[in-house]
Amino acid sequence: MTKAAALLLAGSLALAACASDEEGGDTATGNGGASGDLKIGLAYDEAGRGDKSFNDSAYAGAEAAIDEFGGEVQEVSPNEDGSNRAELLSNLAEQGYNPVIAVGFAYDEVLGEVAPQFPDTVFAQVDGSNADGAKGDNVTGLVFAEEEGSFLAGVAAALKSETGQVGFVGGVESPLIEKFQAGFEAGARAAKPDIVINSQYISPAGDFSGFSDPAKGQIVAQSMFDAGADIVYHAAGGSGTGVFQAAAASGGRAIGVDSDQYQTVEDPALQAVIMTSMLKRVDNAVQAFISDYVDGNVEGATDVLNDLSTEGVGLSDSGGFITDIKGDLDQYRQQIVDGEIEVPTSL
Amino acid sequence: MATSAPSAGGPGQGSSAGASAAGVAPPAVELRGITKRFPGVVANRDIELRVRRGEVHAIVGENGAGKSTLMKTLYGMHRPDEGQILLDGREVHFRSPADAIAAGIGMVHQHFMLADNFTVLENIILGSEPTKGGRLDRAGARRRIGELSDKYALGLEPDVLVEDLGVGDRQRVEIAKVLYRGATTLILDEPTAVLVPQEVDELFGNLNELKREGLTVIFISHKLDEVRRVADSITVIRRGTTVGQADPRTTSVKQLAEMMVGSELPTPETRTSTVRDAVVLQLTDVTVADPVGRPLVNDVDLTVREGEVVGIAGVEGNGQAELVDAIMGLRPLAAGRITLGDEDITCATTRARREAGIGFIPEDRHRQGMLLDAPLWENRVLGHQTRPPAAKGWFIDRRGARTDTERIMRQYDVRAPGPDTLAVALSGGNQQKLIVGREMSAGPRLLIAAHPTRGVDVGAQAVIWELLKDARAEGMGIVLVSADLDELIGLSDTLHVMLRGGLVATVDPRRVTPEELGGYMTGAHTVGAA
Amino acid sequence: MSPILRRTGLALLGPVLAIVVALVISAGVIALIGENPLTALEVMLDLGDTPSQQTQSIVVILNRAVPLFLAGLAVSIAFRMGLFNIGVEGQYRLAAILAAAVGGAVALPGPLHVLVIVAVAVVVGAVWAGIVGVLKVTRGVSEVISSIMLNFIALGLASYLLTGPLRGSEEGASIVTTTPIPESGWFPGLNGLLTGLGLAEPRSQLYGFLLVAVVVGIAVAVLLKRTRFGFDLRASGLSPSAASASGVDARRMVLKTMLLSGAVAGLIGMPDLLGSTHVYGTQFTGGLGFLGIAVALLGRNSPVGIALAALLFAFLDRAALPLQFADIPSSVVTIIQGTIVLAVVIANEVARRLTLRSAERAGARPVAPGGGSAGATGRGNPPPSDDGPPDTTGDRTGVRQEVQR
Repeated sequence: MTKAAALLLAGSLALAACASDEEGGDTATGNGGASGDLKIGLAYDEAGRGDKSFNDSAYAGAEAAIDEFGGEVQEVSPNEDGSNRAELLSNLAEQGYNPVIAVGFAYDEVLGEVAPQFPDTVFAQVDGSNADGAKGDNVTGLVFAEEEGSFLAGVAAALKSETGQVGFVGGVESPLIEKFQAGFEAGARAAKPDIVINSQYISPAGDFSGFSDPAKGQIVAQSMFDAGADIVYHAAGGSGTGVFQAAAASGGRAIGVDSDQYQTVEDPALQAVIMTSMLKRVDNAVQAFISDYVDGNVEGATDVLNDLSTEGVGLSDSGGFITDIKGDLDQYRQQIVDGEIEVPTSL
Repeated sequence: MATSAPSAGGPGQGSSAGASAAGVAPPAVELRGITKRFPGVVANRDIELRVRRGEVHAIVGENGAGKSTLMKTLYGMHRPDEGQILLDGREVHFRSPADAIAAGIGMVHQHFMLADNFTVLENIILGSEPTKGGRLDRAGARRRIGELSDKYALGLEPDVLVEDLGVGDRQRVEIAKVLYRGATTLILDEPTAVLVPQEVDELFGNLNELKREGLTVIFISHKLDEVRRVADSITVIRRGTTVGQADPRTTSVKQLAEMMVGSELPTPETRTSTVRDAVVLQLTDVTVADPVGRPLVNDVDLTVREGEVVGIAGVEGNGQAELVDAIMGLRPLAAGRITLGDEDITCATTRARREAGIGFIPEDRHRQGMLLDAPLWENRVLGHQTRPPAAKGWFIDRRGARTDTERIMRQYDVRAPGPDTLAVALSGGNQQKLIVGREMSAGPRLLIAAHPTRGVDVGAQAVIWELLKDARAEGMGIVLVSADLDELIGLSDTLHVMLRGGLVATVDPRRVTPEELGGYMTGAHTVGAA
Repeated sequence: MSPILRRTGLALLGPVLAIVVALVISAGVIALIGENPLTALEVMLDLGDTPSQQTQSIVVILNRAVPLFLAGLAVSIAFRMGLFNIGVEGQYRLAAILAAAVGGAVALPGPLHVLVIVAVAVVVGAVWAGIVGVLKVTRGVSEVISSIMLNFIALGLASYLLTGPLRGSEEGASIVTTTPIPESGWFPGLNGLLTGLGLAEPRSQLYGFLLVAVVVGIAVAVLLKRTRFGFDLRASGLSPSAASASGVDARRMVLKTMLLSGAVAGLIGMPDLLGSTHVYGTQFTGGLGFLGIAVALLGRNSPVGIALAALLFAFLDRAALPLQFADIPSSVVTIIQGTIVLAVVIANEVARRLTLRSAERAGARPVAPGGGSAGATGRGNPPPSDDGPPDTTGDRTGVRQEVQR
């Protein structure tokens, strides 16, 4: 983790060095000076804290930053239909929280509205890009190469599958989750060209219940296991528990997502079926961003890409289920990092 | 007058003090000084009632006199504010009907509480199912029902579905249900209201059986001739309190009636014929079918002239309700034609028919005649939404409707605080008077009156009869459907009998007796007399 | 106390009782998780430190209340005639996406553009609800079942349209939207009005659609209370059998009511669409149709009540944020909202019984309106009106069930 952080830090330092001192950098320096007063605003996505997934992961990153620099973190979650997102961000900014980190692509639109109203506040968005600076000069995108991590998950699934059939459960039909699917399918085919892949989504675009509906997750996954799949990868947030339950019920296995779900899931019966998890190191990204901020190195209007090379994404090996194929996995990883394999980001 | 009512031979008036001392068994049921208040009204006041074991004791009084309140007190449905209830000389306190049932009191309600799609056996045991090892003991239940049926000559068939039974049979199932729970005192609330004369006779036969077996029957009614036939003693209630006891053998109907209402009884009799030539309503081959296609009303031809009351007699469920629905446009015709005056209204909507001059007093005022949760003035609007004074263009004329409601209240003696009172707050008689007043106020050519005096007190009944007579004299055509044979015979100019969907007989109301009419209604007489 | 005063008092009793019960329960819950209920209340009532923040809070509450009010109104229209339109959700979502698509596709001068968008929304909402009505009238399908099913279809359809033919956002964007409505199709905000009133300028615009909602609310109130149509509708709700006996065509009434309910439902998405987002996208506020049921219930189906209920819900919704800043879990708000709805159902029943009893008392009070025609009966003196308890037993229970169905 520290290695990744260091890498990230190095990366952003390099970026910051290239860029001249622009407005974002200035303000960051100004505010970051008194590190003892660090007040971090953290606006979560739908499920909020306790999702055992990326909201928790973001918090872990902020926590680590506070351990390092001192200060406090204020967390806020949106209401049920997510209609008060803009208010969350504005209130955090208004109350002097800086930096303000929005977790989730759902903040895309509102960040573009809110950030320009608070030019003195530094914003970051996990899972949202601001490479073109459309959301304002004071917004940094913390993006991940989910397709690369998912590619490795696909490789692992294909290599470990005994039935030659694997599955993918997406939470909500959306470009972000399709990245997971695209990477996973490409990885599985790369490892075993004749693999059968069954990909399904819990809810259609616009209906965000698919990220927090374990019951439906279980139904969807169960149908895959019943159809002959023995390993199912999920990118469905809180619904993932249902996928694990379906795996446990059918004697199959599952691949977790975002955090090391082998560690976070409490039920030993479910733990046993989690073969690996596609890690998305939101914690690292958040921590790195905060330390950049403290150091006055936030540039704004850019993206920080977290991929295999920065260890921003990867596979967990808790439980030791995939140690036997570590060699293959490392090979693929290297090929991706070297650019020999280009992983698709959409279907 | 009430206090001087005949009491000779009554169950020991004046001997109550010495009764127990003399070793005579205490009354099976005794109420002392029962008073029951509802917010703002005293429903029962100083009720004194003594019912001997093994007698049929009638309680008579006008509708609204407080009979039902009294019986609810005795059946544990509410607690009296003052007074005592004694069973066999011991004071009891009922917190719920369950307590009353445990003490041997059973109630047969006026409206049957049976599940149609259950068998007789299932209905009887419903709520007190016998079990054997955790399972329903059907055999045991069947045995006990058989015993009850034999003992009291109820003639029960345990496996028949209740929906296939006639009214009299259903009533016997209700009685069996009460007996099955071990009742020794039965309360029958207006049991003859739904029966034709022949069925009444059968019921009285059953009551005699019960009496012979030592059971006590409390019989609530306002039909005095019936009461005199079946009761061993009579208690009269007026305005919430008992006005005296009477011996049916020595008291005439007239005397009873005077005790009951404190004045003379009204009669439904019409005076001279007012029938004119012009036809108001003409039904030609009217047939109404149920969803399966079976005819509910079969090939009915009916003519109503101006100033004529055409009565339809029949045991309930023989197509009268459907015929009324057909005339009102509430049910589609399978065949036939309906003309109102010169207009063919076969395909007209209910609203169009009402606007063309049909007034409607529905059979069930709660279901079809009123909006119970709405104020009186809105009930005045109901059915007249499109016409002044209820409407003004597209809008409801609130002021006009209110003013006219006040007029109806005055003219038709509707007792209520004002047009903003909710309809639910009115007694049945006052609700009915409002409905009649409303239907009359639009000046219809034809009035469909279905059971216009059902469940209303004698006073309101007289008012309604009087109104129908006046309307007839003014040239209104009236179709009168009723279960009250006296009312039919008294008011009708022409009287048809309906049986199984068809008009089977036309009788002369001036000559026919209720017994004869009953015969036609049950199909016992089949000759169509003129 | 005058009868009118008493009646209003009783009408208010239910909701007030419900809110008090909900507050007590919620206070208990807050105390259980170790927080001070009074602090929580204080936090919820605190609108902000600066005048600008306070105005902003009011704007947030009002902006939230407008769609909630419209949703409650849509549900209540159907409720009034005894129909349970659960399909408001699907009706407004479908209406919003099609209106957004049309608005994004055409270029018209200012007011006309807005009018076209609103008209499309109204028509789509009405048509979608009309399907429910047609199914009920022609096939006897329960409106509860069909409207739930149509919700699924509407959401699926909206999702398909959004990601397919009506997609306006570029390929690969995280949030999929329709083509943005050009500025001529925006509904102007009301901040001028606020500042005109001497309030500080808030951060966001107060939806101009607020005015439309008020007009619609008044129109619906007049329609239901004063017109023949409204009378027929309410009569059908109070007693379908009595209504048809009075000449109301029940089938046509079902259809008309559903069309009207759906038309109002179509407006629910308009405040957001015309006032702030200007597109329909995957982030478009959902669930308002279901909240509308709770709002209608709390407002006891009267437009004024619904307006108050919508404001209350909006207020609670905004309070979720300051609560989080005070480190009190915002789920407190959800608990309060949930308990209010639950308590409302109970309190309404209690209030109904009290109203009934009060009505019985009123009916039982002796009054002698002239007694003029009594003489015609040939009876000497009419008996005083001690008719015993009113005629409320017997089939009364049956009637009740019908009304509530």
